Amino acid sequence: MRFFRALFAALLLTVPSALRAQPQLSGNALQSSNILNPNISAVGWLQGEAGRRKPVVEEAAAPFAVKEAEIAFQSVIDPYTRADVFVAVEGEGGIELEEGHLTWYSLPGGLSLKAGKFKGAFGKFNLTHRPETAFADRPLSHEAYLGEEGLASAGGGLSWHIPNPWLLVNLDAQAFVLPGADEVPAFGKAKRNDLLYIGRLGGYYDLTESANITLGGSCAFGAAGREFNPVTASSSTLSSRLYSLDLTYRWKNPRRAIYRSLFWQTELLWNRREITAGSYENTMGYFSHLEYQFARRWRAGGRYDWTRAPGDGTAHESGGLVYLTFMPSEFSRISLQGRQVDRSGGTKEKLGFLKLTFNIGPHGVHLF
Amino acid sequence: MKFLNLFALTSLFCAAPLAAKVKVVTTTEDLAALAAEVAGDSAEVTAIARGYQDPHFVEAKPSYLLKLKKAQLFIQVGLELETGWAPALLSSARNPGILPGRPGFMDASEGCEILGKPTGGVDRSLGDVHPLGNPHYWLNPENGRVIARAIAHRLSVMDPDNSGKYKANLAAFEERLSEKEKEWDASAAAFKGVKVVTYHNSWPSFARRFGLEVVDFVEPRPGIPPSPAHIHSLITRIRASGVRLLLVEPYFDLKLPEKVAAESGAALVVIPPSVGGEAGIKTYSGLFDRQLELLKNALGGK
Ligand SMILES: [Zn+2]
Repeated sequence: MRFFRALFAALLLTVPSALRAQPQLSGNALQSSNILNPNISAVGWLQGEAGRRKPVVEEAAAPFAVKEAEIAFQSVIDPYTRADVFVAVEGEGGIELEEGHLTWYSLPGGLSLKAGKFKGAFGKFNLTHRPETAFADRPLSHEAYLGEEGLASAGGGLSWHIPNPWLLVNLDAQAFVLPGADEVPAFGKAKRNDLLYIGRLGGYYDLTESANITLGGSCAFGAAGREFNPVTASSSTLSSRLYSLDLTYRWKNPRRAIYRSLFWQTELLWNRREITAGSYENTMGYFSHLEYQFARRWRAGGRYDWTRAPGDGTAHESGGLVYLTFMPSEFSRISLQGRQVDRSGGTKEKLGFLKLTFNIGPHGVHLF
Repeated sequence: MKFLNLFALTSLFCAAPLAAKVKVVTTTEDLAALAAEVAGDSAEVTAIARGYQDPHFVEAKPSYLLKLKKAQLFIQVGLELETGWAPALLSSARNPGILPGRPGFMDASEGCEILGKPTGGVDRSLGDVHPLGNPHYWLNPENGRVIARAIAHRLSVMDPDNSGKYKANLAAFEERLSEKEKEWDASAAAFKGVKVVTYHNSWPSFARRFGLEVVDFVEPRPGIPPSPAHIHSLITRIRASGVRLLLVEPYFDLKLPEKVAAESGAALVVIPPSVGGEAGIKTYSGLFDRQLELLKNALGGK
């Protein structure tokens, strides 16, 4: 914690001088070039669901519904900053600011700074927007620890490319307003101004021209609710520490890039949560996802899940998802999926999904 | 405190004056080859995509950032050829000097003769079109000349001490290119007016320069794979209009083109559109040498 505070203090001191050090540039030149100006784009997500959820949910999902439309506004503001705003219009009518942040991308020393609401750099999967994941659902472990929507909140973060000539190593340090336990179950707000600290160290390495791996380790520290001690008539904040290891392997022959590819990602979550003052419960969960593109427009994949719930080491759930995805073009996807989950009570849940997504406008491309 | 020291140290490094050699990073090997002609030994030139890759579909690998971080001049083909990967790399490279609008950013298409600028409205029912015009313009050697001149100008501004060298290198390149062009025109005279079908719409500049006539494409729309119905009508069209060559870029699967060639009678030519597209093609003029050789061989017997 002390480390993060020191980091942010250092940042506040260095940013203004760093900005002054930038050469002035005419705004016109930047505006006329639209390379960093993807303007407005939208991703639509329609989903069908068949089968019965167990435990039974109050309002059964409609057999086919508009799940979400995600509208992105992305623009360079000035020679130092860019803004990214993602608004999710949910099928049931709600509008939510998914992300809205400023990025100072031209700081010296391989640094970049982000402020606003954004997805926490916790693991790799959390950073992908929901319509853009390969799945109609979330991995069980992510749902259990990071919630249905993933970990996103208001805060600030610093990202640093650690200089070295061999491989790309990135260090992220972020501080967020701690979301409520209903959003991110691994933590629990104790006070209004509780913060969540996240750190991730990730490395990327090309094994061959066709294959590469990304390996990352993340940690997140925050409160896990309050405990009232009737003897001393005082209350104390409980803590939760969440760790993760992520490994991603990719293969694609650049000479035949549009036809075949392989993707394998595994993420392990481990939580040490204070149940009562001084006594901890350790729990964990993981998923492993394999996808193979066997033709220009076809992919098949599967995911295995295993998880406990945060603070509950007694029962676990496991399951699997398989899918077949057809991409008529780069801009749309149709995916047929089947999932089975063995719930902790001994019940089996079987669901089928149809996930349909499309994008319009110059969709932002991410690095991996 | 330690962090601050480290920060100050890194800032100092970044503010250091230009190193002995200007570092140039280009998106494609064609641009790298042109830059190398002009730069000689005064600059270090590297390309991101290899010549045997489809330049539309290059993965934005983080390892490319290591090159871009140190680059002083970034050169792209532009016209949205690299729209799927270059912007993502640039905005993640943490190198403000090569961002669009900065002196270290160069779009090579400026000043070149660009074909196929759409006149009407453009939308994606036309496939993954290039709304700013056909980005495969480097396949006209006169455009190569324009690009080389622009690179020489940029390098001279960035590195005035060596501007004399850049000027001399450019002049020597232009002279060699003019000589080569005479040679190419002479050998291309043999196939003036030959009708061809190409897989992707990569060849309009090349065809115009060397007198080929592009009749149709294997892809019904740019980036959209062909349907059986399209292939059927393509075969009919090849037979009806006397198309002699089927040109395929090396990064496409050959199964379908082979079928089309066998059923239509056109000769299949796997022809690299870029420097590095075959191991032996190492220079910009080497590219045209090889392309014209391939065409000549394919038409040889007829
Ligand atoms: Zn193209």
